[in-house]
Amino acid sequence: MFVGESLERVDALEKVIGKGIFAGDLRMEGMAFGVIVRAERFHARIASIDASEAIATEGVVRVLTHKDIPGANGYGVLKKDQPYLAAGYIRFFGEPVAMVIAQNERIAREAALRMRVDYEDMEPLNDPFLAAASTVNIHKGGNLLCRKTVIKGDTKRAEGQSHVVIERTYSTRRVDHVFLECEAGLAFPDQSGRITVISSTQNIHYKQKEVSRLLSLPEERIRIIQAPTGGGFGGKLDVTVEGYAALAAYLTGRPVMVRYTREESMLSNTKRHPLYMNYRTGAAKDGRLTFLEAKITGDTGAYASYGEVVALRAAVHATGPYQVPNVHVESSMYFTNNPVCGAMRGFGIPQTAFAHESQMDLLAEALCIDPLEIRKINALRKGSETATGQVLNHSVGFYDALKCIEPAWKERKKTGNSGFGLGCMFYGIGNTGVPNPSACHLTLMPEGKIGFHLGACDIGQGSDTVLTQILLETLGLEKNCVLLVKGDSDTTRDAGSSSASRQTYITGKAVFEAGRKLRSYLEEKGIDKGRSLKDICSEASGEGGPIFDGFFDPPTTSLDPVTGQGIPYATYAFAAHMTEVEVDPATCVCRVKKVHAAHDVGRAINPDAVRGQIFGGVAMGIGFALMEEFIPSRSKSLYSYYIPTSMDMPAVETYLVEDQEPTGPYGAKGVGEPALIPQGASIMNAIRDATGIRGFELPCNFERLCLLAEKV
Amino acid sequence: MRLPHFEYAAPRSLDEALRLLAEAGEEARVMAGGTDLIVRMKHGLLKPGFVISLAEIEELRPISFDRRKGLSIGATARLAEVASHAEIKRRYPAVASAAEKTANVQVRNMGTVGGNICNAAPSADNAPTLIAMGAEAVIAGGKGKRSVPLDRFFKGPRLTALEPDEILTAIQVPVPPPYSGASYQHLSARGRVDISAVCVGAMTVFEGSTCREIRIALGAVGPKPLRALEAENLLKGQSWTADMIDSAGRKAAEEARPISDVRASAEYRRQMVDVLTRRAVLEARSMAGKRRR
Repeated sequence: MFVGESLERVDALEKVIGKGIFAGDLRMEGMAFGVIVRAERFHARIASIDASEAIATEGVVRVLTHKDIPGANGYGVLKKDQPYLAAGYIRFFGEPVAMVIAQNERIAREAALRMRVDYEDMEPLNDPFLAAASTVNIHKGGNLLCRKTVIKGDTKRAEGQSHVVIERTYSTRRVDHVFLECEAGLAFPDQSGRITVISSTQNIHYKQKEVSRLLSLPEERIRIIQAPTGGGFGGKLDVTVEGYAALAAYLTGRPVMVRYTREESMLSNTKRHPLYMNYRTGAAKDGRLTFLEAKITGDTGAYASYGEVVALRAAVHATGPYQVPNVHVESSMYFTNNPVCGAMRGFGIPQTAFAHESQMDLLAEALCIDPLEIRKINALRKGSETATGQVLNHSVGFYDALKCIEPAWKERKKTGNSGFGLGCMFYGIGNTGVPNPSACHLTLMPEGKIGFHLGACDIGQGSDTVLTQILLETLGLEKNCVLLVKGDSDTTRDAGSSSASRQTYITGKAVFEAGRKLRSYLEEKGIDKGRSLKDICSEASGEGGPIFDGFFDPPTTSLDPVTGQGIPYATYAFAAHMTEVEVDPATCVCRVKKVHAAHDVGRAINPDAVRGQIFGGVAMGIGFALMEEFIPSRSKSLYSYYIPTSMDMPAVETYLVEDQEPTGPYGAKGVGEPALIPQGASIMNAIRDATGIRGFELPCNFERLCLLAEKV
Repeated sequence: MRLPHFEYAAPRSLDEALRLLAEAGEEARVMAGGTDLIVRMKHGLLKPGFVISLAEIEELRPISFDRRKGLSIGATARLAEVASHAEIKRRYPAVASAAEKTANVQVRNMGTVGGNICNAAPSADNAPTLIAMGAEAVIAGGKGKRSVPLDRFFKGPRLTALEPDEILTAIQVPVPPPYSGASYQHLSARGRVDISAVCVGAMTVFEGSTCREIRIALGAVGPKPLRALEAENLLKGQSWTADMIDSAGRKAAEEARPISDVRASAEYRRQMVDVLTRRAVLEARSMAGKRRR
């Protein structure tokens, strides 16, 4: 039995004893270092680049600008609009202009400081509302990246039939991922000129395609290998160092390492989108929601990245985990001269959860209904229809999650300056309304083991362990019979990105399918009749040996472009958090004391790993609600950008609801992002309970809370 | 983020350290725990050609208490040692508390109270309490030994009364008088493991219900740790009322000279000087009530 057991992580030992070599620690004979020269301008034209002094520096190998790029100078998940190296135009503070390659890192960094770039500054558009109204276009097609709508029923008519309508506007700020390991990668050409990149990444096959476009080489001439990765949270989905290392290795013919300092990481990496959310929510006297109108305006920064995905996800999830018969959501993303905003744990839903959960509490207050009660009344359950018209027929454990925290909620006792708040969420597992398949394959190896070829990237969340557990359960074999062959575009198939909380559910199902094929093969070969695995392997392994494929693409439909109606996800995760805070009324310092977190994960393949995700989500939610705010040109490092430390961590009580998902492996769904999503919202509701003050802007740090307190 | 090239010496005696320092002149920097110096060197903010470590000098390490002279904290006594020292916790709990609230575990295990003082950041966690308790900096140099009261030791951000050829050897804190109490209050955006946005140290001596002596020191709200002299005057020689304490808080806030930076705005800091000053003097008074000798 492997499923449901908290097996030790498969990578625990090598990490604990320091054997795992992270990308930044790799070394190769003749390896050079590349350093990116970045513009410290928000919006400008490049007048001239003078590299003469940098090139003259002893030890400098070469200086690259956009002119040296052999292929396409643009990357991006949907729109290839972000240049690797600026082609005459600067759209955000920190945009790469040139790359200096030198014998060692010190020389490269010193020479980078000797690059002379002259700019003609332009007026920056640093706010989405300004960008919307401006005649200056940051990109040729205008400043609107996209507008997504979800429309169901008739909100205007429903408003007339509502007993109470609450309208408020909420806003959140830019947040950095602050993964423990900064971006790093090593690229090198082999004798045939084929380029290999080893990097810290959340996806290998996607990066293979991007690097192939960049170098104008066929995909099979590019090999991407994932090094052990110290966190991603969405920040290692876009191309980071891979493009630069590959470009430098290709042009110089030698191994090139590119690794960022924390300062470079913060300057260059994508951020969580700041969203401005105007919500109008109506309810009947009995607490039933009647309608919801939301206008969401996002600042996607200088380039598209995952902006469109965030806009769509925010629209689809705008209601929260509730039945709302009439819905009108408009979600727009604008380009600005701010840092590029992209994928970050939750894809816009931690932001909308802050809005819909505050609205639920405001409605409860207006109707004199208990906050937990109003959530129970409206909770999505079996047979409910979502805002996109999807009927949920299975694995809807939200009501059960609410029941889990109900005893703690009923027993809560306010003392002195403490307060209690709820936060809830639902989250669609996998990409939105598009195919997002995963594939994997199994082989028989001559040493008598099963080769588990896995393209999914374990970025610290534990997918290697969980997927191995699924395979072992399916095969019914011993733990040590599997050899993980992973994270290499040469030896594994495309399992998509480690994002959207999708690996356990989607790749897990592909692993299950492959495992079943192998299991019946082994049975045919007599594994149950005393024949050893080693025996079967030695007969079948080697060239032309059998390959057992696994493939899964969750059943979804595309969404109607006007109404947003359709089936965006095959399944959803649900969660309810209850948070206790203590707020010092004089200083407005808020401490999170205790969190009760209930999650419907379908099936907890590895309960400790699920709990680990929840703890991490709680920590990140504390930062999101109380501390984190990335201000371009001012937030430079962890000296000037706050994240919580272990000292800020509250006690966390977890409750795992297992309403099994029939299409998932052993009923599993996902938990990576759900763990974070409701946390910020529950803190804000708790602060309201503690102080009587409701914050509408995140982060609600001591200064903001003090200003609000003065106004009361 | 690499250290630049520099010469390094770890002499075994204070005399040797003073001789090396005198020879090297302005080129040299003295290092105790290195938790400020090394970081600043890595960031290129300081480029000393020569670093003299005090770590190997036995005589600078001890923490000692004498019933007449009071507490002596050696220049290389670590923050963690000060925070957990039984005699300091018993007789100078506010000094231990300030050391405990400085930075994080790793820094407290390497960094020193002496270094925190010599680094002279306006936000130095250990400065306000030590100033309030009347501590002195004990200094050795080419011209011999001298002592400087700590509230005259700070000259500005990262500027001290130390001459280029001088080394801080210890911090001397007088014996707390009978019926005295002290308190350290601090505040920062993260709350823990952070640089203080505002910090306040206070020491009071009572005679019955009358405050005979009081010192209030403010940190992170001016170019150097400041005494709130006018606020002290409002409370000195008085039998405190709630109104008096409120006025003292407001007065201290007026005396503060905060700026806005990444830690907090000037406005918030000023407000918090008021809050923390009131808390500090009240806690100091309550500690005084508990201390008979």
